[in-house]
Amino acid sequence: MEKLNNTDLVALLLAIGTMLILSRIVAELGKRWKMPVVMGELLVGIALGPTILGTFNPELFNTLFPLKTNPHFSIALDGIVSLSVILLLFVAGMEVQLPVVLRQGKAAITTGLGSMILPFATGFAIAWWKPEWFGLTAAQGDGYIFPIFLGTALSISALPVIARILMDLNLFKTNIGMIIIASAMFNDLIGWLVFSFILSYAGKNGAEHMSVWTTVVAILAFGAFMLFVGRKLIDKVLPWVQTKLSWPGGVLALCMSVCMFSAAFTESIHIHAILGAFIAGIAIGDSVHLREQAREIIHQFVTNFFAPLFFVSIGLKVNFIDNFDWLTVTIILVLAFIGKVAGASIGARLGGIDKRSSLAIGFGLNARGAMEIILGTLAYDAGLISQTVFVALVIMALITSLSSGPLMRRYTTELT
Amino acid sequence: MDYSKLKRRASYPFETIAVAVAFSPRLEALVSEGAVLAKSCGAKLLLIHIGERTRNKESKLDDLVTKLQLKEDQYRILWNDGDPVESLLHLCKLNVVDLLILGAMKKESLLQYYLGSVARKISRKAKCSVLLLTDPANEGTVFKKMVVNGVENPKTVYTINTAVYFGKCVSTSEVFVVTEIHQPGLAMTMADEATAGEMTRIKKENKAEELERVHAIVTRCQRQGDMEICEKTISGKPGYAIRHYAEQKKANLLVVNSPDQKLGLIDRIFTHDIEYILEDLPCNVLIVHSRVNETT
Repeated sequence: MEKLNNTDLVALLLAIGTMLILSRIVAELGKRWKMPVVMGELLVGIALGPTILGTFNPELFNTLFPLKTNPHFSIALDGIVSLSVILLLFVAGMEVQLPVVLRQGKAAITTGLGSMILPFATGFAIAWWKPEWFGLTAAQGDGYIFPIFLGTALSISALPVIARILMDLNLFKTNIGMIIIASAMFNDLIGWLVFSFILSYAGKNGAEHMSVWTTVVAILAFGAFMLFVGRKLIDKVLPWVQTKLSWPGGVLALCMSVCMFSAAFTESIHIHAILGAFIAGIAIGDSVHLREQAREIIHQFVTNFFAPLFFVSIGLKVNFIDNFDWLTVTIILVLAFIGKVAGASIGARLGGIDKRSSLAIGFGLNARGAMEIILGTLAYDAGLISQTVFVALVIMALITSLSSGPLMRRYTTELT
Repeated sequence: MDYSKLKRRASYPFETIAVAVAFSPRLEALVSEGAVLAKSCGAKLLLIHIGERTRNKESKLDDLVTKLQLKEDQYRILWNDGDPVESLLHLCKLNVVDLLILGAMKKESLLQYYLGSVARKISRKAKCSVLLLTDPANEGTVFKKMVVNGVENPKTVYTINTAVYFGKCVSTSEVFVVTEIHQPGLAMTMADEATAGEMTRIKKENKAEELERVHAIVTRCQRQGDMEICEKTISGKPGYAIRHYAEQKKANLLVVNSPDQKLGLIDRIFTHDIEYILEDLPCNVLIVHSRVNETT
């Protein structure tokens, strides 16, 4: 068995330590200006990566992150980053609670649908009509995959950012707040299902293995099995694990192993591992027996160790200055704002919400945050998008997250 | 059909109480419960049977009302054919029933639960309050301890008032008005950005806000006699948390709002709110249907 030698291990540990401590320091500083944690983590990645450190001090960059010179280091870091994204999707799934969508009734369903259909349609149409705007040649632009991807990327929402904004605006427990939360859950569920299809069908690993219909059937069958049968089984096992096994070791082991097995299964049938992790998260997170404390521990563990590694690593892959293109960024930003705000607002209006609150809902759901960045990274890694589109998606995720709160505040003053 | 008498009719007092008669082994206990409650509330008693009217059934019911010493002006027996759920609900509307009493299994088999038993179906659809008795007794159930939902909903104030009224009728001594705190997405948000102090403060503030809200409703409700009303907040999913609390408290009655929307199979698969209670009744359950916001 090939092993990491002493030098590889030292390099890996130094890199992880640097990523963790710097991202925490910048995130804490950023909190003073209400900057999302993910932004601090990305900035650290940009500073440590080819954009800044790699340009001004390439020697130090290569010493700290010997990605090109040390294949062992590169593979080990890639393994950790892959594990990070699997766990991030797992905790994102844990917060998707379908009963919350059901209990909000018509307004949540129409808002959820509106906030998906319009951004998806605008993204799909523009990518189909003008592929060259996204750096695709006419031949590359012929397929459906990039338009479906862009549509999906524009329709996703970021539940953690949205929840934080609602809390800051004191709207979390209001009807509007719950409609936004339920719609974001709905967006995430459908968005990740569609994205798994894209990755499975068109990704580097999947294309030669499965047809469109096999991929769709496999995704739906796995989702249905986990949500109907797996969920009930977990519900039966959890009380026993939480009372009879050591705390919190027992429940952590159960949750993590269900996540890993589920991710391994979907990867083995050529659907991306993220789907397995996401659906496992829904199945576990929905259980009434999962103690709130256990939920918090899992979130702390993933958000404070794996999330910074993942988001910092993004900056290590891409040069954000070289790949910054005004036109692409502007087009993606305009599409993101128009599609999401208009779609969600129209959906809310159809659900019986007044005009002002509907606009607040639209701006609330516009925050894309970490979820968009994860989606963009996976698409970039799978060779679906160029570095330019990836950079534009990251910038869009940050701008929509930063603007969501202030814009929402304009329409919610009388609701609080 | 003219249902105008039902429009905006208050959920209490209970002027007409109906018992769904199914000629099961629990027939006597159930009719006795109806008679006791009708007497306590000063209400008329309706015995409704949906199914074939036979001599045998008639004589059984006659024997029973004689045994319970019910006078002719105190009760009426209604017979009807057709679908048990629809016919029963139709007769309840037609006769302006305020409270319908049903016998119910504590927990049903998985298949029966998903398909929906008569008692559960009526609980989801009824346009009057429904009392589900898990263990009806010939001498009448004692409703000493009552747990009432204090969920944030316009119906809640009517539910609490109805519970207090009912509590007075049945000599309840302890009432717990319970509100459930459930904030999906909070754990993820807090893990990302909050300090330990901020997390504790947010949780405390949420709890205090909820208590204040419930207290405001309880203050407005019409307290009866020396009934003790306690206000509580509990964490957990709505429906499940209060069911668990009622079990822990060994309550005799759990009082909840009627569903806000039409519930179907999907609501049983992805269980939420009242479905958690119907899935496994923690004790007797009173589902209060307040008609205040209704147009028909």
